[in-house]
Amino acid sequence: MKVIENDTVKEKAYFEELENGLKVIVIPKKNTNKKMAIVGTKFGSIDNHFIKPTTKQEVTIPDGVAHFLEHKMFEQADGTNSLDTLTALGVEANAYTTNDHTAYYFETIDNFEPAFKELLNYVFHPYYTDENVEKEKGIIAQEIKMYDDDPISKVFLNALQCMYNVCPVRIDVAGTVESINKINKDILYDCYNTFYHPSNMVMAVCGDFEPEYIINLIKENMEKMDKQDKIDRIYPEEKPEICEKFKEEKMEVSIPTFVIGIKDEVEDTDIVKKELLLNIILNCIFDENSKLFNELYQEGLVLAEPDLEYEYSDIYSHMMIYAPSKDPKKVFEKFKKEVKRLIDEGIDEKTFNRTKNKIYGRILTSYNDASQIARSFMRDYLNNIVSFDDIEKWKEINVNDANEMLKNKFKEEKMILSVIMPKN
Amino acid sequence: MSYNKVILKKGITFHNINTNKFKTNLCAVFLTFPITYENATKDTLIALMLKRGSKNLKTREEITSKLAELYGAEFDCGIDKSGDNHVLKFYLESLNEEYLPKKENLLEKSMEVLLDLVFNPNIEDGKFKEEFLAQEKNHLEQIINSKIDNKAMYALNRTVEEMYEGKPYGIYKYGYVEKLQGITAQNLYEYYKDLISKCKIDIFVSGDNLDIKEILQNNAIIKSLNDREPEYVTKGSSSNENTEKFVEDKMDVAQGKIVIGMDLKLQSEDEKYWAQVYNTILGGSANSKLFQNVREKASLAYTVSSNYMRLKSNIFIRAGIEIENYEKALGIIKQQLQDMKDGKFSDEDIKQAKRTLIATINNIPEEQDIEISYYYGHELSGNNTTVEDYKNKIENVSRENIISVANSININTIYFLRN
Repeated sequence: MKVIENDTVKEKAYFEELENGLKVIVIPKKNTNKKMAIVGTKFGSIDNHFIKPTTKQEVTIPDGVAHFLEHKMFEQADGTNSLDTLTALGVEANAYTTNDHTAYYFETIDNFEPAFKELLNYVFHPYYTDENVEKEKGIIAQEIKMYDDDPISKVFLNALQCMYNVCPVRIDVAGTVESINKINKDILYDCYNTFYHPSNMVMAVCGDFEPEYIINLIKENMEKMDKQDKIDRIYPEEKPEICEKFKEEKMEVSIPTFVIGIKDEVEDTDIVKKELLLNIILNCIFDENSKLFNELYQEGLVLAEPDLEYEYSDIYSHMMIYAPSKDPKKVFEKFKKEVKRLIDEGIDEKTFNRTKNKIYGRILTSYNDASQIARSFMRDYLNNIVSFDDIEKWKEINVNDANEMLKNKFKEEKMILSVIMPKN
Repeated sequence: MSYNKVILKKGITFHNINTNKFKTNLCAVFLTFPITYENATKDTLIALMLKRGSKNLKTREEITSKLAELYGAEFDCGIDKSGDNHVLKFYLESLNEEYLPKKENLLEKSMEVLLDLVFNPNIEDGKFKEEFLAQEKNHLEQIINSKIDNKAMYALNRTVEEMYEGKPYGIYKYGYVEKLQGITAQNLYEYYKDLISKCKIDIFVSGDNLDIKEILQNNAIIKSLNDREPEYVTKGSSSNENTEKFVEDKMDVAQGKIVIGMDLKLQSEDEKYWAQVYNTILGGSANSKLFQNVREKASLAYTVSSNYMRLKSNIFIRAGIEIENYEKALGIIKQQLQDMKDGKFSDEDIKQAKRTLIATINNIPEEQDIEISYYYGHELSGNNTTVEDYKNKIENVSRENIISVANSININTIYFLRN
């Protein structure tokens, strides 16, 4: 077992890869009663075209399968439902699907061991029937319609569709009511057998445990299996240019909302450092302390700190800035102008250091909570990253790194605007 | 973990939660007073104005850069209704000094900043700054208007509004656009002074090895506050008497939202524990009757649940459904209510519901803001049930108790948001 200790956050993480290929991380945390276990697979809505490892056959699947499969993992051959079983144990269990991964988890104070066994059992034993697949379609259709009424989901999805031409990140994670109707149990089994092999998965557990206890529990409760080779995923070639500069949709809302998107490229680089720097830059440009925000606030154009995020996977990389505003176009113009000014003049050292301190506080605060810790270790390790790395990179970076990146990544031709306008 | 309470002055209480579970210290100031239709808008506006600057940190830039200096300390404020009270909540979260690159006493500084922001507003010539007020009025107008944007919340708020029409609990917590016009920089400041001198003040600190009691006792701001006999409501009004009043709103939505607002006729404090178990079996978890029957068996919804509002003795059932399935969904929901009355639930259902509730109770000390809310709840209700007692009371709820709650229920309002 490999152990990595971090003196800044004062936590340790233990890493082990099992014979079946499952990567396990245990983060022992003293002084907490809360325990969290999460297992994730690198299978998200973008993985819609691949080669079946067993037959080498090429498969294209309807939109929304990864998410549909997540819904269908809980039903068991013996007629029980694992979500019910876990709830009955008094633990809080759930699952989620994103563009690039799917995860199953529970958090609890009591009954950890039976719940953990149940998690291992249901995630590694699928049971799909024509009947249970059909039944789920009504439920997921309502989930899709719930998001149809949500301006925030809409404005983000439209932003992705502006930035990307063919990359499957432009497809809604849940698919559409039409696309999910094409899903059947054979498609689900094909995907399960490809993507739910332990070799494609990471388990992270956080709580007051001995790491050996967790590793043994997993070994005792998983069947023997050989490792699987890397999965051949087929993605369309995405050109560096954006697809559309602007997209507007109308909904019954009180105020427009917008997303400014900045398309980036997937590149072979130190991604931890890049993510950290981009986050700092986005905050320097547009957080509550920024010159831009305060100007827009004075004018009543942006009233709460925008959401600032950088996202990436193996096939996409972009930044998104979200906020409500009565005049998104004006905000976009001012944003572009401010970026130009900052590129010309450079981010000053004081602003950079202040923002860097703020990010430090956020990173450290994220270690308050067992569930947040397990989540980030799982998600990062799916991308071969150890979560402690950001705090180490934090010590290295300086204002010159930030200005260099600002110049390279904030080009006007890579920026898009997505807007939801009120109907009346 | 230890909790203790110190009366700093009459009506001003300091709650100290000493815990080593976190890397952060969380400071909070809660101001509690009765909510009124006349003043709800002013209350929210005060919270917004306090975020704009204090005597020492004159602008929001000064505030935010101060916070960034304190290693990204987060200042936040929230406006809540707690029964018939309006509560303005101000939080400041900062790192415990053990985790700073360079040691410094952040807790003391954080507390000073928080007190300064709440009790030392930026006042010129006896009034709030006109320029800021004009901006914040616009801001508040947007906040109030945005109540339609989240359709599920909107449907719930509308149901509460219908059930409590004309009563304090029916007031929208952010206030009303029509009230904005009458508010001036001067009358708002007069109102603020009056509020601060009369409201109940609770100060919370949660974190490790805190030695802040004396700091607070010697703090100039605390010293300057007056003793008070705080006016706040412990026993509020109940809902208007309705029987299945039907309310429908139309909007351009893809999904219909159904909300059923129900009154519980409870005789004693203990029955509130019965109601919690009842609600959990009805719609409080994935094992509940509503989740199993409306979602899993009939595939009619993705979200369906019920919530018990302890202070008001109400349960709200909520579901997002296909608009044309309204009758069908309502039928299934009503059947669950009937089954609960008829005792058609198993001993296993009771056991699981208790386990779910006890897990929630056990989680209280694991999150700083939840623990603060828990002790605040005690403070307001005067109920000092310990966590152990609380768990025992849940354990002791019987099948008969649950059935008696079921039979005390009356559907007050059925609300449907549709296109």
